[in-house]
Amino acid sequence: MPRTPEEPVSVNAHPVSDVAIGLLIEAGAVLASSLDLSTTMGQVAQLTVPRLADLCVIDLVDEEGSIKDVAVASAEKGLARELEQLRAHYPLDPDGGHPVAGVIRTGEPVLLAEMSSTLLSSFAQGSKHARFMIENGYSSAVVAPLLARERTLGALSTLRLKAGAAYGEEDMDLVVELARRAALAIDNARLFSELQRTQLAESFMSEASRVLASSMDYADTLTRVTRLVVPRIADWCAIDVVNEQEEIERVAVHHSDPAQLELAARLDRDYRPKPDEPLGVPEVIRTGTARIYTDIPPEALADYARDSHHLELLSAIGATAVIIVPMIGAAGPIGAITLVSSGSSHKLSRADLALAERLARRAGTAVENAHLYTERSRIAHTLQQALLPEALPEIPGAEIQARYCAAGELNEVGGDFYDVLYYGAERWMLMIGDVCGKGPRAAGVTALARHTLRAAAISGQTSTQMLDTLHRALRRQPPGADLCTVCLVTMERTAQRTRLKVTLAGHPPPLLIDAHGRARTLGQPGTLLGVLDSLELNETGAELGPDETLLLYTDGVPEAGRSNTQLGEDGLIELCRRAPSLSLGELLEHIEHVALDHAQGSLRDDLALLGLRLSHLEPPRR
Amino acid sequence: MDVRLGPDRVVLGLHGELDLLGAPLLEEEIEKAETEAPAIVVLDLQDLQFVDSAGLRVILAAHERSRQQGKELALTPGSEQVQRLFTIAGVDEHLRIIGSPDELLV
Repeated sequence: MPRTPEEPVSVNAHPVSDVAIGLLIEAGAVLASSLDLSTTMGQVAQLTVPRLADLCVIDLVDEEGSIKDVAVASAEKGLARELEQLRAHYPLDPDGGHPVAGVIRTGEPVLLAEMSSTLLSSFAQGSKHARFMIENGYSSAVVAPLLARERTLGALSTLRLKAGAAYGEEDMDLVVELARRAALAIDNARLFSELQRTQLAESFMSEASRVLASSMDYADTLTRVTRLVVPRIADWCAIDVVNEQEEIERVAVHHSDPAQLELAARLDRDYRPKPDEPLGVPEVIRTGTARIYTDIPPEALADYARDSHHLELLSAIGATAVIIVPMIGAAGPIGAITLVSSGSSHKLSRADLALAERLARRAGTAVENAHLYTERSRIAHTLQQALLPEALPEIPGAEIQARYCAAGELNEVGGDFYDVLYYGAERWMLMIGDVCGKGPRAAGVTALARHTLRAAAISGQTSTQMLDTLHRALRRQPPGADLCTVCLVTMERTAQRTRLKVTLAGHPPPLLIDAHGRARTLGQPGTLLGVLDSLELNETGAELGPDETLLLYTDGVPEAGRSNTQLGEDGLIELCRRAPSLSLGELLEHIEHVALDHAQGSLRDDLALLGLRLSHLEPPRR
Repeated sequence: MDVRLGPDRVVLGLHGELDLLGAPLLEEEIEKAETEAPAIVVLDLQDLQFVDSAGLRVILAAHERSRQQGKELALTPGSEQVQRLFTIAGVDEHLRIIGSPDELLV
């Protein structure tokens, strides 16, 4: 009999006693005073005793449809607690014959003016319950639904015991009215906590998203996620992922209590979930379906435990509720997040499940991205290896060194390349080049450049011919394609001297550093490759003496950093002054460090350095 | 970057640094200017501090396009670094360098 809230029910229907009016006014004050449900319900139940009832019980239906007493008040001390204990052991069957269950199902109030032992026994939850009711002299009862927004939230029961006067219609109307007001208060409190939770969830998710996006190291990221979850959402949070061996691996765990964290670690170490286990994390990962356990009876725990030690650990954790949600990747579940509430703190509920699922979706994406990133880095690294020589050839009586540093993120394959070739009769060629652009396309062109030059050299072409070959190869690339700068240095050695021939195609000229650290540029500018119709290239001869150093580099070295802080060619020449006191390797390292300093952590182009130094010893004859 | 229309030309004024980040923007602007079908596109580099190979690529690609279409791409000189890059790249002889953006071209 849901009534419209505007209608002052009992007042219109029946003349109402001062007691009743007083009760409703007091109830109004109590119900308005707090949004904390259990406190409020306790106070409402208490109000009815003893004026309206010897015993008052407020029951609510929970998310699973079970009936739970949230407040019990009695005139006789101890009776309320006794009933609470009894109810804990013998919960009311929602589908059974108990009047509370019936009222919750129908939404209609029930007046049981007189209750016989037979009647009491008929709806008792077992003999103990029946005995309790009979022994305490249950004699008359009103059970009213807690109705709000067309939904039955529970029931308010008032009872008279022993010789108390039987309830009549007016009493029922009063209880119904009281229940209606209590229901509104419950509804408000729930809406409020839902709102609070939504707001909490939103702020939590925005923080979680920030954490998840902050790093590509997913183990570190997931650890931070667990720290976000604990203690705000749960007391314990663990994240497991399926590794490459198809095993379930714990990547992150956090507990609000350090002692419990130790326990959790032990549990994981000794009883690592196996992928084929029927329950828990393996089940959720297998099925991709979230699980929530809000009731964990000791028997269920015993069933789940593998042995007594396992059970001991599980019991020590004292979970009141567990949520396990799958992390889903593109190809299915990749792991799971487990949330556990324990002790007296906030017990996990269905509302937390929704939040956990959102978190797991977001975390799943982050883990997947991290995997992809790692994979891409590996590919980029492999590709880079293909672009650069594995090892430089040995040149008798000379030392040769190279340094290379790719710009930007790990994943960017650089466009710089270098190579050193020996092509017989004491002749070598050093090459360094720079393909404009980044990423896979630049990598492709870089590979083309390096291998075209290599092939051209082996087929016996001169430097100018080699560059022309590469130029034509680049011109055959799709339009808008790339430009490439190259510096080729051929080295011819006789017993007496080492002759160099430098050919530049749009590339910065190499430096020749003498034994005193004085550097000068070699070569004349030539046209870069791949863009213009015709090339203009010049070969310039030079001689390299003992203890002298030849340094080839790409423009990433002088141009590292913003335009006003760049090293520049002059700065590079200045750095070369230290050449006599440094080994060749140290010199290149020093130059690279200074360039990286100029870049201040944001290198916008690759750096490549290739150095050759003649030892002062006479080169051995081949 | 500012864009100015003259009677026979579009002048694109470049400022600051032209690198891997800015190059696609310049490319877009040049292509937009080309749709106006002017006889001359001028890249005014007087306020350009820095250009790298990515910027150079865009400039040279535009140069090649205009040459194929019988049009003109002209540049005013940029900073010392910009000019040195043109020299090192071996393209300074190929590019049409003019003293001011409005200089008459025959």
